[in-house]
Amino acid sequence: MVKIAIYPPNSLILADLLERKGHTPLVLQKQIRQKIKDPEIDSPPMNITEEDPIKGLKYAAIEVPSGVRGRMAIIGPLIDEAEAAIVVDGAPYGFGCIGCARTNELSIFLLRNKDIPVLELTYPTNQDETYAMVNEINEFVDSLEETDKEEE
Amino acid sequence: MVKIALVSCGTEYSGIQKEIEKAANKFGAEIVLPEIDLDYIDESYEKFGFSAQSSSLKLMIARAMAIVEGRSKPDAVFIATCFRCAEAALVRNEVRRFIQNNTRIPVVTYSFTERTKADELFIRMEALATTVTRRSILAREKQEGLTLGLDSGSTTTKAVLMENNKVIGTGWTSTKDIIESAKTAAAEAFEQTDYGWDDLDGIGTTGYGRFTMGQEFGAELIQEELSVNAKGAVYLADCQKGEATVLDIGGMDNKVITVNNGIPDNFTMGGICAGASGRFLDMTSRRLDVDITELGPLAVQGDWRKAMLNSYCIVFGIQDLVTTLAAGGSKADVAAAACHSVSEQVYEQQLQEIDIREPLIQVGGTSLISGLVEAVSETLGGIEVIVPEYSQHIGAVGAALLVSGMGHRQDNK
Amino acid sequence: MSQNLTMSPDLGTEDWDPDVITRMIFIGPGAHVSEQEVVSEFHMLGLPLTIKNTCYGSMISGKSEDVYKAIEEIRKLDPNHIFTKERGFAPGDPRRCRGHRFGPREGFHQMEKEYRILGFVSNALENPKEVEIEEKKPVDVDEFKKIMNECLENKE
Repeated sequence: MVKIAIYPPNSLILADLLERKGHTPLVLQKQIRQKIKDPEIDSPPMNITEEDPIKGLKYAAIEVPSGVRGRMAIIGPLIDEAEAAIVVDGAPYGFGCIGCARTNELSIFLLRNKDIPVLELTYPTNQDETYAMVNEINEFVDSLEETDKEEE
Repeated sequence: MVKIALVSCGTEYSGIQKEIEKAANKFGAEIVLPEIDLDYIDESYEKFGFSAQSSSLKLMIARAMAIVEGRSKPDAVFIATCFRCAEAALVRNEVRRFIQNNTRIPVVTYSFTERTKADELFIRMEALATTVTRRSILAREKQEGLTLGLDSGSTTTKAVLMENNKVIGTGWTSTKDIIESAKTAAAEAFEQTDYGWDDLDGIGTTGYGRFTMGQEFGAELIQEELSVNAKGAVYLADCQKGEATVLDIGGMDNKVITVNNGIPDNFTMGGICAGASGRFLDMTSRRLDVDITELGPLAVQGDWRKAMLNSYCIVFGIQDLVTTLAAGGSKADVAAAACHSVSEQVYEQQLQEIDIREPLIQVGGTSLISGLVEAVSETLGGIEVIVPEYSQHIGAVGAALLVSGMGHRQDNK
Repeated sequence: MSQNLTMSPDLGTEDWDPDVITRMIFIGPGAHVSEQEVVSEFHMLGLPLTIKNTCYGSMISGKSEDVYKAIEEIRKLDPNHIFTKERGFAPGDPRRCRGHRFGPREGFHQMEKEYRILGFVSNALENPKEVEIEEKKPVDVDEFKKIMNECLENKE
């Protein structure tokens, strides 16, 4: 089992395809859940406080807008934990955590720079491209399993 | 309840969402989000024509569109994005213009950091809420009857008497006891006329001591300085229509207000450094042994480039100026360098946070220092700077103007 | 009702339990099961779960162990058409629920868009096959010039 970061980090399709293969997709929603289930914090709706942009300083300097740093406080730990990554270019983005292009650029850069296997894909627009995407993800995941076994 | 639509990006992730809501609630307003669906977001984003990469900015554009097209009907709009985000600043300003050009809904914009607290948002929310509830008052373009405007600031208290759209008396004193200082300033203003307290139609108060004065004198209008100064400035400068920026470099703090059709829509206030205030010029004039009123004309004759000034600091900067004088530099060059230094620092600390719109109306006591006005224009790339008559009494003029029509003290006589 | 975007939620003990998680279950186009069948199956499992019908499928909430077990079972109904993902907020959490908060929910539109290609994904899972995708390249300069001249000539 490999912990795989995905981008967009809340993608249904990416998370599902990895889970099917028995791997752990590192998804944003788990991070959010951790935050909102903390009864010690009362900063609705997301329980993000001014502390989060400060925590985000680990990933981006003080001159970077607070919204980027606050988002990095949530997404950053997923990147830290990643043993592999799948980045999809041109994917539809929701709003909120992943609604900031600068945050997304930084996150993807950090993943690419992490010395872990990274698969880069383009979001499919038709049936054939979807076949190609599913195939590539499966091949990538299988190759991870092989290295995993070799290491054992 | 006044409904304020939130058109923003990054507020939740900066941890300030609750602060915004708190500030709105304090003034009897509530924050609402315009409800829209996915197709509408895509459609309005394309219609608007700004290619933003961040999807939250697309959402912001769509929310603005929903307001302009009447799908959402808020009473006011609060547009906020992260400080230092270029993409968001561009969208923020374009969305602001879009709403102002196509609706009569008042707008306030703000760029925030994680440090933003409800207190900082209060004056903006108060301005928004009062713009909604007092629109008819803010629409006033002409003063009528005999009115007194009192502006109690943290350092000085100003009084202005107006009659039939003209200033007929002014008073100025340093603020000690709020009420006593107001009486002194008012007495000075009355002295220049044949009138007294009993002849007034109405009294308007503004500034830091507005509530205390308002209660004591039974003022018909008690209004925060954001709306009052903006109104006073565009009235005196004859810029009541269209856009303008009001700059007040004060003795202790500085205000920059952007105005659209006489109504303020953004505002920054700073006061952390004496080097960016009138105090720096006060110190300079003492060092040069000239009266503060002579500093301006002196500076206009000088060239700031000829005086060495390595620091904006009121301690080190002034020392540099003394060194220049000791090395045989001219007083005029030193005066020019001091004005240039203040204007540059005001620019670096504050003017960058706001979208400056021409003309710039400079007000407050420092607007009388011609060298500073010239330096401000130069710092901003030769922008048109207007210093209207009575610019040092701006708040009191605004209060006297806005209260006219509200006071009916003579009716019962 | 006054709109309050940042209400402090009044949640039960279960809602605050970090081990209680929520999953969304999507039934893609062309599925061999209906939303109702999926929900009944969840009930039949007899696990202590909160089960909700939604516009896209269903949502279940409970202890993580039970939720994962249920997901494993439910996938068996139609492995290639049932998709699932985590959800941060529990069903009906007033901090996120549209009924309280108005405005679109942050992740919803992305989900809507991804749903549009779920059918393709199902097909790819059902009948895996190799495909060749031709990479798009910018048009050759000479070709560009030729077309441009043709267009200009046609105009005259």
